[in-house]
Amino acid sequence: MRPAEEIKKLIENLSDTTSPRMDRRVREDMLHALAESEATPTLAWSNIRRQIMKNPITKLAAAAVIITAVGLSIAVIDKVTSPAYALEQTVEALRNVRFLHVIGRDDQGRIKDERWIEIGMDGFQVRYRQDSPPNPFAIEDGESTAVYRHNKQAVIIYDRKDVQYQWVGELGKALENLRQQGKILKENDIYKGQGAHRVWWPYMSAECYVDPQTKLPIAIGDTELSYEEPPAGTFDIVIPEGYVAVDKRPGAPAGSVPDWLLEEESIQQKAADCFRQATHALARGDYSEAAELFEFVTQHQSGRNWAWFWLGSAYYGQGQYELAIEKFTKVLEIFKAYGGGGEKPLNYCNYARGLAYARLGMNEAAQADLQASLPSMILTLRTPSGGKMFEYADNPLMRYGKYDPSERQMVVNMINRLRTVTGQSFGYDPAATGQENEAAISAWERWSKDSGRVKFTPDAERVLLPESPE
Amino acid sequence: MLEDKLLVIKCRRGDKEAMCRLYEKYKDYLLTLARGLVDEQAEAEDLVHDAFVAFARRARQFELTGSLKGYLATSVVNGARDRMRAAARWAKAPAPGNPLATRPNDPEQCAAEAEDITRLRQALRQIPYEQREAVLLHIRGGMKFRQMAKVQGVSVSTIHARYRYGLDKLRSLLNSEVEK
Repeated sequence: MRPAEEIKKLIENLSDTTSPRMDRRVREDMLHALAESEATPTLAWSNIRRQIMKNPITKLAAAAVIITAVGLSIAVIDKVTSPAYALEQTVEALRNVRFLHVIGRDDQGRIKDERWIEIGMDGFQVRYRQDSPPNPFAIEDGESTAVYRHNKQAVIIYDRKDVQYQWVGELGKALENLRQQGKILKENDIYKGQGAHRVWWPYMSAECYVDPQTKLPIAIGDTELSYEEPPAGTFDIVIPEGYVAVDKRPGAPAGSVPDWLLEEESIQQKAADCFRQATHALARGDYSEAAELFEFVTQHQSGRNWAWFWLGSAYYGQGQYELAIEKFTKVLEIFKAYGGGGEKPLNYCNYARGLAYARLGMNEAAQADLQASLPSMILTLRTPSGGKMFEYADNPLMRYGKYDPSERQMVVNMINRLRTVTGQSFGYDPAATGQENEAAISAWERWSKDSGRVKFTPDAERVLLPESPE
Repeated sequence: MLEDKLLVIKCRRGDKEAMCRLYEKYKDYLLTLARGLVDEQAEAEDLVHDAFVAFARRARQFELTGSLKGYLATSVVNGARDRMRAAARWAKAPAPGNPLATRPNDPEQCAAEAEDITRLRQALRQIPYEQREAVLLHIRGGMKFRQMAKVQGVSVSTIHARYRYGLDKLRSLLNSEVEK
């Protein structure tokens, strides 16, 4: 083993020498800069300025001149220019962000989900803290991840390489997605009483609000974002009094892991395996097997909303609509309790539950659910990425990258859903160009605005995406 | 320290010789620091270049409050951070693999360096930038944790942790290479 002292010595011995070429270049540019600074005798001028500014009357007068000048320039800028907002500005602004403070609130405005993220120079999460039930309270200090198990009065410490938490997946991917596929829905809109640009961010499957001054998002969906430095100690792993620390990092003394944790880990592993098998079973239409496996998952991982949702889908596939409604309702409850959703619909889930109600002939309930999801369905016709969550809900293989529908496919699939729940068709032709289909899309939008009454039509004719030529 | 003060006073008067003397005095130290922070030799040279040119531009108003060495080192570190921000932030994750399998160096340069130093440079590139900066500034740059905390804009305890983690990680990277 190399002791730290040896490594320090190695670092002390690091030595680089400039090349003659570099010396020439630096000297030349440096002396040029020095000569240039000579041409503008700043020091002398600043001394004179200091003398003048010592006089209080001059100070007041200068202040008045500055205020007037600023006022004038603002007025002139306001009248003469109208700087347009571009998504690129937000992408650039986010590049310089060092800390993210993420807050989700319940309908009473209380914080239900709080996360702090420090982003490193390379763009990756360096340190992280989440307090977002039902997820475990966790802190990553850059090296280790501590999971706080309050019910067991224990803190389990993992190597960060083994266990990591994240708010969103790849931040880089999210930004690139905003740059390429984001859409400005409305400039100078209002968010909670303040001016903000409203933007559709496909990766987040949500609308976000951008501060017109900083160009940074202040909200994504219902989640609030800010960028201040966290209080000292936010990312420090501290073992509360009376708690035991269970060290699961490589090299930790053996036998220190309590039995309850070993048992739990074995069940969690089994649940994870079942989840994967269940999603594949659902995708191939084996509803009975999928339901059995998802039942096991939800029993042991009760906060896993997608397990509940697909369990509902598995029951729906078997024609067990009451059970499907029960499971979809559970998803909506989780969303309301922890997702900060309030009374807002969870479009794909309201849609799925609405279909189940309709199958049972519970028309009023079906109407309410389907009506709630209708605006987002119509939005997809012009913003195809708006249909991403519907696709994800319909095909869990999307989770593993085994299903990746094109924008066109997403629109066609949404047209089919719309036909099923409205009985309308408006002559949309999947083989036609976007321009040719403009009339159909406009008709959907007009219909949604004017009447928009849903009508369950299970035997509506489905449109098919024409096969692309070889 | 006294020599630096005299040189700065001369630079304020536009003395070219004093400026060149400062360059001679700190060029290799700064280049070593820069080479540790960024991957490419040319990039490191640019950082040192920019630090001296910026100093020359400000030389006439420059007031030396601390150490000139520390000031120039901070200038290089800030430059490296700006470059990292501009070029690599929010970049795609590197593919996992052998932690020491980094991009190949210039073969001539590798041959010229001692094997240990080459491995150390490669290991430095594998540790998170903040930790790399903390380790280099403290050990090679001779900076105190308090100064470094100011440069990185974080608390002293954070810097201390970054330094410790960085050093531990370097140890484990270098050891894993030895013990394979």
